Amino acid sequence: MSARGTRRFISDLLKGRRPRSFRAEEADAAPLRAAITLRGAAPEGAAPREEFVTGLRQRLAAEMAGEPASEPNESRPVRAVGSTRRRFVQASTIAAAAAAAGAVVDHVVVGGAPEGPRDPQTLTPATGQWRTVSASADLAEGGVRGFDLGSVVGFVARNAGELKAVSGVCTHLGCRLTLDAPARRLDCPCHRTSFGLNGELLNHQLPVAPPALPHLQVREQGGVVQIYAPPGPV
Amino acid sequence: MVMTSASAAGRGERVTGEPLLRVVDDEFYPDWEAVYRDNVGRVYRLMFAKVGNRADAEDLTAEVFMAALRPLRVSASAAEVRSYLFATARTVLAGHWRKTLGIEITRLNADELWEQASNNPSAQDAGTPAASRDAAAILAGLPENYRRILQLRFLESCSIREAAAAMGVSVTYAKVLQHRALRRAARVMEVGT
Repeated sequence: MSARGTRRFISDLLKGRRPRSFRAEEADAAPLRAAITLRGAAPEGAAPREEFVTGLRQRLAAEMAGEPASEPNESRPVRAVGSTRRRFVQASTIAAAAAAAGAVVDHVVVGGAPEGPRDPQTLTPATGQWRTVSASADLAEGGVRGFDLGSVVGFVARNAGELKAVSGVCTHLGCRLTLDAPARRLDCPCHRTSFGLNGELLNHQLPVAPPALPHLQVREQGGVVQIYAPPGPV
Repeated sequence: MVMTSASAAGRGERVTGEPLLRVVDDEFYPDWEAVYRDNVGRVYRLMFAKVGNRADAEDLTAEVFMAALRPLRVSASAAEVRSYLFATARTVLAGHWRKTLGIEITRLNADELWEQASNNPSAQDAGTPAASRDAAAILAGLPENYRRILQLRFLESCSIREAAAAMGVSVTYAKVLQHRALRRAARVMEVGT
């Protein structure tokens, strides 16, 4: 039992301070739980502070408007996905984890596929048709082509003999992605978000990571490459 | 067009094999601000009851809304939104213990969620009803002086000096008493669950 850690944790609780972390053992759990349960009924727990409620509302407003929460754009580091322990980034996977845990959550409530354990979504239009986006000859091994079908825009790539097509619209606020062919990357012009050619999020500077790009159904037939998409103006 | 076919089909009926169109006529939130206003107090109270301090309760509340708001669809009913917030809160709390102590000290369970959802958010007198009840249950199972020291220290936020004075004992003895009382409280809880 980590008596010192437990004692300090309880002393912090009683002083109204944030308790310090320590490596707890199973034997510590019961006294800590008792202390928290007793303290959990303290008057401060009845309602959040007004300043906190107002401040968080402002942070959320900035977040929902797609603006970075505080610092100006230029000074924010671009986050490489998966290589940072920043709390905001962790937060982004929580929605996914909650969705995966799933007791009360279904996709009626949560739109899109948050990055993380879930597979990216594949677009299956209610009414669709196979529409040609390229001649096979124009999409060599390693090649990438953008297309605009009116109803859907995207990019199709041939890699190791396999065709993959993804949406060409950023999952953050809908800006059209541009192809950085040498880097094999799709860049958002609005907030420096970028995606790989398989739709995976590569990096971003948003408070919450946007989901991966939806996949599009693609096939090759009769010397042309086709995408399954709704009919629409060409 | 959509509205017509949806209302013609009525609630809960299918329109010729198509996925059900959602009729938004019962309680739902007009925008994210309404979701926030209606639930921020609820989420905070839940978190406070489970971490016992304001700083962590505020951070975890912020984390819940940061994670949950953007993916929410406006078409979700208020009840669905609350279920989703609570599921997110449960995940956030579990993550908090994993990061700080490495073991799960407290967790949110479904009973509390329901009780919390029906709780009047303007209640100012104490923490959550469940939190007060849990604390009262522990205290009720203790001998008088143990109950008194914990009451003074944890619920009334007295310093050790104040608590010792109130009980007419030395500061040193008050510390010993608190330590023993907490160990006993832990046993009371274990038996209770």
